[in-house]
Amino acid sequence: MVPERDPVKGTRVQMMMTCLCDAFFDDAAHAAWMCLQRAGREVVCPDGQTCCGQAAYTAGDWPAFRQVVRHVSRVFADPAPIVVASGSCAAALFHEAPMAFEGEPDLPAIQALARRTWELTDFLVNGLGMDRWGGRLDARIAIHNACHTRGTPTIGAVRTLLKSIDGVELAEVPDSDICCGFGGVFSVSHPHISTGMGRDKVANVLSVSPDCIVSADMSCLMHQRGIAEHQGQSYPVRHIAQVLRDANRGLA
Amino acid sequence: MTDDREAMFARLRESLGRLNVRTAYPDFAADIATPKARRGGGPEVFRQRLEAANTRVVESVPALGELLRDRDTRHGYCDPSLATILGPALGDDIELLTTFDRERMDEYTFGITRASAGIVETGTLILKDRDTSDRLGALAPWIHIACLNPDRLYATLAEAIIDLDDDPNVILVSGHSQTADVEGIMIHGVHGPGEQVCLFL
Amino acid sequence: MSRQALDVFASTLDESVLQAIEVGARSGVDKRLATLTEDYEDPDMLRRLAGRLRQHALDHLDEYLANAEQRLTENGARVHFAGTTGRARDIILEILRRSGTRVVTKSKSMASEELDLTRVLQARGFEPLETDLGEFVVQLDDDHPSHIVKPIIHKNRRDVARSFERGGLGDYDDDPETITRRARAFMRSKFLEARATITGANFISAESGRIALVTNEGNARFGQAGADIHIVLAGIDKVIPRDRDLALLLSLLIRSATGQRMTSYIELVAGPRSADQPSGPREMHVIFMDANRSAIVGSEMAPILRCIRCGACMNTCPVYRKSSGHAYRGVYPGPMGTVLGPLLAEGGFGELSDLARASTLCGACADVCPVDIPLPELIARLRERSVREHVKQGQQGVPAMGLYALLAGHPRLWRLVMRLGRLLDWVPLRKLPAQLSRAWFDTRTLPRWRGGRFRRWLRGAGGDNHD
Repeated sequence: MVPERDPVKGTRVQMMMTCLCDAFFDDAAHAAWMCLQRAGREVVCPDGQTCCGQAAYTAGDWPAFRQVVRHVSRVFADPAPIVVASGSCAAALFHEAPMAFEGEPDLPAIQALARRTWELTDFLVNGLGMDRWGGRLDARIAIHNACHTRGTPTIGAVRTLLKSIDGVELAEVPDSDICCGFGGVFSVSHPHISTGMGRDKVANVLSVSPDCIVSADMSCLMHQRGIAEHQGQSYPVRHIAQVLRDANRGLA
Repeated sequence: MTDDREAMFARLRESLGRLNVRTAYPDFAADIATPKARRGGGPEVFRQRLEAANTRVVESVPALGELLRDRDTRHGYCDPSLATILGPALGDDIELLTTFDRERMDEYTFGITRASAGIVETGTLILKDRDTSDRLGALAPWIHIACLNPDRLYATLAEAIIDLDDDPNVILVSGHSQTADVEGIMIHGVHGPGEQVCLFL
Repeated sequence: MSRQALDVFASTLDESVLQAIEVGARSGVDKRLATLTEDYEDPDMLRRLAGRLRQHALDHLDEYLANAEQRLTENGARVHFAGTTGRARDIILEILRRSGTRVVTKSKSMASEELDLTRVLQARGFEPLETDLGEFVVQLDDDHPSHIVKPIIHKNRRDVARSFERGGLGDYDDDPETITRRARAFMRSKFLEARATITGANFISAESGRIALVTNEGNARFGQAGADIHIVLAGIDKVIPRDRDLALLLSLLIRSATGQRMTSYIELVAGPRSADQPSGPREMHVIFMDANRSAIVGSEMAPILRCIRCGACMNTCPVYRKSSGHAYRGVYPGPMGTVLGPLLAEGGFGELSDLARASTLCGACADVCPVDIPLPELIARLRERSVREHVKQGQQGVPAMGLYALLAGHPRLWRLVMRLGRLLDWVPLRKLPAQLSRAWFDTRTLPRWRGGRFRRWLRGAGGDNHD
């Protein structure tokens, strides 16, 4: 699903760090901030932000989901684009929220929110028209695309940005389009299947000997790395923003 | 035994009454699903498609006789209206029986019946009830020979379907019977014929 | 919170079963994709078109069903309406009793599985015979199909050989060709012995009344050619508007199901045999079955009824591939089964409502559906229904969201939890008895807690923060 978005005006952006980065991946959030700065944006990161609500959506508790999305809508009320360091959180806002607000009086406000919500790499490449990131990083990288980004511009954007970095070699993962089995609550409601799918994913990724595994979403990577480490395997994961930021280290 | 007809239609109308907007019939060409590479082509292309669809093409009656001798299948069923045409040209050693006796089903080693038309797109033979002298004759023996007038060809599946008359039983035959139910391995010759042949007449 | 039945079932599966399913499903995925990409520049355009066509048919089902009934009656068939599976069973039994037959041949029909028809016929003194090879094996094993197109995808040749041996069809032989020939030899006389044959319907045209039957084996042909009576059992959702639609739908169905362009046989049956035809049914009955479908039509779940039973969704579903069709308990497995199953369940929505949890919502199914059913959305809506209607079974394995939503609406509390979470580093989480933590920590590690660190950095970096 390719969301319809308002064209980007001005330099101000509001950054959504995501609850996972808030809890576990502060360096990824830092990197997202730096990338937006490098792209010439005036970055605002509202401290009142908490979560996108997706967990409630997938749980089926849509009143709870709406409650959280309304909080998002208040915190990010500024008309500037909202740039999210996660493809699945962005999808929660531009795809799932409009569905869950059908028949609600504030549907128009939520649709407006959806139209200014971007996943980070989609924002850089398609919102700002940056098809080159540049910089240098010598690394063999395996890309993982979260299922929530299926059919969205994020998939192309991640690849475009990585290919523009000198020294980056992309390793093609077998069965790359098969889900890794995280699925949020699924990982604990169906642990046997989730782990089986995760093990298959880890094996496929490691089979191409990457230096690191990169995604626009830390959620899947957290699950995959959790499985790999439990099996005693090294599984270095990086958020795409971290790779982009690191490619610029050594440059002004 | 009462029928649930009224109750079912009432439920349907009630359910559909909920809809503000009903999806309209979309606008599309009937042959939209015919692949570009499979459009066009006449009898020669049809022959290729038949073979690709596991149907052996036989160009003449003597050639059919050769095939039957080759398989050592010389005793079979034949549409009575075809038997007079084929009998002499096939040879004395080939026996054509013009009624299908169910009690002796396994004695027929082949069956010869008419095909009504063909479809070039898919290499398909069209059998119709009114043109088939006995369904079992076309179906039960291991070898089925469909006799087709090569002028009766439709370019596409869509064309063939749209041109159907009111024949009660139309069968689109694309090759021999087959199954891949055991480990996905394709085996031919299940309940239908194990060998499908097309004779151009 | 507890572990889901489907997951538990999956964990009991033999390696040989998982392997058979993986090979079969993967082959389905590859063949479908190869044919579609070879034949069409834009297969997705055709899927969306077929989706609109099927939705149109459903949105006007009252009209089209009436048309189909009229045409079939004009063609000399007898049309029946069955509101429930029970009524469909009664109608079929009545027809069979009047026919005086003992042997009944049957072609593959998922609708008939909703009636558990084969077992019912057996119990009532008939000799029903599944003639599709896969279904025949299922019948020998007193089992259920595990896939809607490839009923024994979960079996290998050794399993089938053992089934045949147990079924009295000869000594153990696991050569697929031998197995197939034995089935052929066994069934031939039965086709003639049966005075009645039962089939499903892939499509029913409202324009001509034609029943489309798609097979490779020729079993449906033989069943009809040998019998006096042909009974067609079809859900009301099988009706399509016009004959011309068959070209599009058959083209997509066959490519999606097996990667073929045509199956060996496509029968377009309009009525009983023609006047001069010596073989074939003199009597034809078409039973339109509702069984909860009329309640789904016109609702936001209606798109599931577009389904043309191709099986592509389950071939591509990683959850299906790790659990097999039997894990879904109902008649329909895989993604389409997680939606259709609970909606058709005779015991009510709750009975199969947990199936909606057996998905990561990855969307692979929606990408292959030939009629563009938005499966992940429908699955999400079923979850929402479970919560809204307080259906306990559908909420198993899912934590309550009230506390989470509360925290997410109160930034100060949220930030406090973020900071306090560091305590988790000192708590041996893996030792907690809670199902939730075991479900994660049995096979996965968790990253170290870093709650609050980025926010602290932001304050230091002087970024513009609201509070």
